[in-house]
Amino acid sequence: MNTFLAALFSGTSRGAIFALVALGLVIVWRGAGIVNFAQMGQAMFSTYIASTLIINGNSYWVGFIVALLSGAVLGSLIDIFVMRPLSNKKKTELLSSESMRAAVPVLASLGILGVLQALAGIIWAAEERGFPAPAKQEGFTVAGNAMPFTAFDLFVIGSVAVTLILTTLFFKKTSMGLAMRATALNQEVAKLSGIRTNLTRTLSWAISGAASSLAGLLLTPSSNLSPNTLDLALLIGFTAAVVGGLDSPAGAVLGGFIIGMVISFVTFYDTPEDVFLAILAVLLLALIIRPRGLLGSKDVRRV
Amino acid sequence: MHSIGRKSLIRTLLFIIAILWLGSTFDAYNQGQLAVVLILFIGVLSVTILTGISGQLSLGQGALMAVGGYSTALLMTNYPFSLWVAIPFSIIGAAIAGLLLGVAAARLSGPYLAGTTLVVALAIPTIANRFVSVFKGDEGLPVDVGYPPAWFSNAFGEPSYEEWQLYVALPFAAIALFFASNMLLSRSGRMWKSIRDNATASSLTGVNYSRQKIYVFIVSASFAGLSGALYGLRGLVGPSVYPVSLSLTLLTAAVLGGIRSIAGAFIGTVIVVFLPDWIDLVVENFELSEQVSNYMPAMISSLLLILTVVINPAGVAGTKLHRHK
Repeated sequence: MNTFLAALFSGTSRGAIFALVALGLVIVWRGAGIVNFAQMGQAMFSTYIASTLIINGNSYWVGFIVALLSGAVLGSLIDIFVMRPLSNKKKTELLSSESMRAAVPVLASLGILGVLQALAGIIWAAEERGFPAPAKQEGFTVAGNAMPFTAFDLFVIGSVAVTLILTTLFFKKTSMGLAMRATALNQEVAKLSGIRTNLTRTLSWAISGAASSLAGLLLTPSSNLSPNTLDLALLIGFTAAVVGGLDSPAGAVLGGFIIGMVISFVTFYDTPEDVFLAILAVLLLALIIRPRGLLGSKDVRRV
Repeated sequence: MHSIGRKSLIRTLLFIIAILWLGSTFDAYNQGQLAVVLILFIGVLSVTILTGISGQLSLGQGALMAVGGYSTALLMTNYPFSLWVAIPFSIIGAAIAGLLLGVAAARLSGPYLAGTTLVVALAIPTIANRFVSVFKGDEGLPVDVGYPPAWFSNAFGEPSYEEWQLYVALPFAAIALFFASNMLLSRSGRMWKSIRDNATASSLTGVNYSRQKIYVFIVSASFAGLSGALYGLRGLVGPSVYPVSLSLTLLTAAVLGGIRSIAGAFIGTVIVVFLPDWIDLVVENFELSEQVSNYMPAMISSLLLILTVVINPAGVAGTKLHRHK
């Protein structure tokens, strides 16, 4: 029973973070039609910025805010300097086929990931460093028993919940959010009705960058910070997004919690070594049984 | 002889002559590097066929290389097979893995396929730690190309270990080049290009779309398996030999050189393998910390990848080299 509770709690807290990673992927996919493989590289980079600030004597919250902002800036820069020129490129013979047009942004994002990781390695040394948590990582004690639930877990779930509510409100209630949803639905029509699609695209990269930076800040206290720490989180987030539906923000959250539970229960009841195989199994199952994802809309994949 | 076969044969013979000449002018270290070029060239060809020709983006070729490497290592350590017998069997093993992957992948496209194969590249090497008694976990299985047979030494003199590595890799690379060249010029190659360029039009001309996609995966997996077997024979077959970054290196090489061309695959492989040496040549003139020079190759090759994609997606070799009537 205790193991079960521990797995459940750890699954909830991890699931919340993966939901955030998946949400970042979904926002860029909807806004720009690109799966951003560099996303957790951006998060790693802004976490390093926060870590440097904190080591130099600033408070955790200064680092926290600066990391979110730099995540947003980094995302916008990537869109403006790499992805926008790519999408505006004339159709050459090579880019005439649909399959290659889908492949090229993936290649670009892998290149960006490589650059960010190498840059982090050069600037901040390759050795791992710890990253602080804003709250205690020891379990609460109830009637003398240590519970498998920590103050940090509460912080994780709380900040993820706030982020989800804020992004939902932004997309549903503001005119900018409406413009972004219109762009996601049909870029040409959105453009014709006067929406500046370049701006909405960049904005989705910025929001996704900030969200994934938050995920980076929440993930690193339980591991260590190195240029490659967050690679795995990207793949887990991708799986979560596919399970939930790559074009559905609600699906991303659902997928994040599902995959968080799977990972947590495999870790507690089996060995942590099987986690990778479990992720692969979940991904393949999802793609075979329901390729559009649990909450995805029907024509998401054009084959 | 059929004109396609003749064309491929001439290409292959020129390739062999060029490599033998280069090998004779190089020192031992560069002979070893040239052997790595030949080995990875086969792997890059697997990317060229899969991504450049049939338009399926895979980030998991490293996993297929691992299948080839482990098959060879298991056959050579557990049974008295020489590498000349073990490698053909491991190509079959990798082809079967490619069939399984292809069946799953035929339903996927674009970023879905990329992400899924990336997860495969991560998950497959962990099997080595799951079944430690067979695969020996992180320690891995030590294998190497051994020593040249007596008739070879008698005829050509005693080669250095690096030189022998080069001579072992050369016939396989030549065979791979011949097959790839033949395939791209033949009917299958044209079918795969039609799948890439326009799936609907391709189906309407009678191409069995999903079946051909699986065939491409099998062929590409065979190339990757051969490359992985030779890659492991440099000394060790273990999870650390086939990391996720290996898959990305192959892809980078294919894109830099020119994703649709065989010559491009070779140019890209040369760039990726020799880049660290070239950077060292430049960097040693400046007083830079070790950290900078460690990360420089990754930095430069990633920058080159972005620049290639944004400025010149056709790569160094361009697309003209292999366009044909």
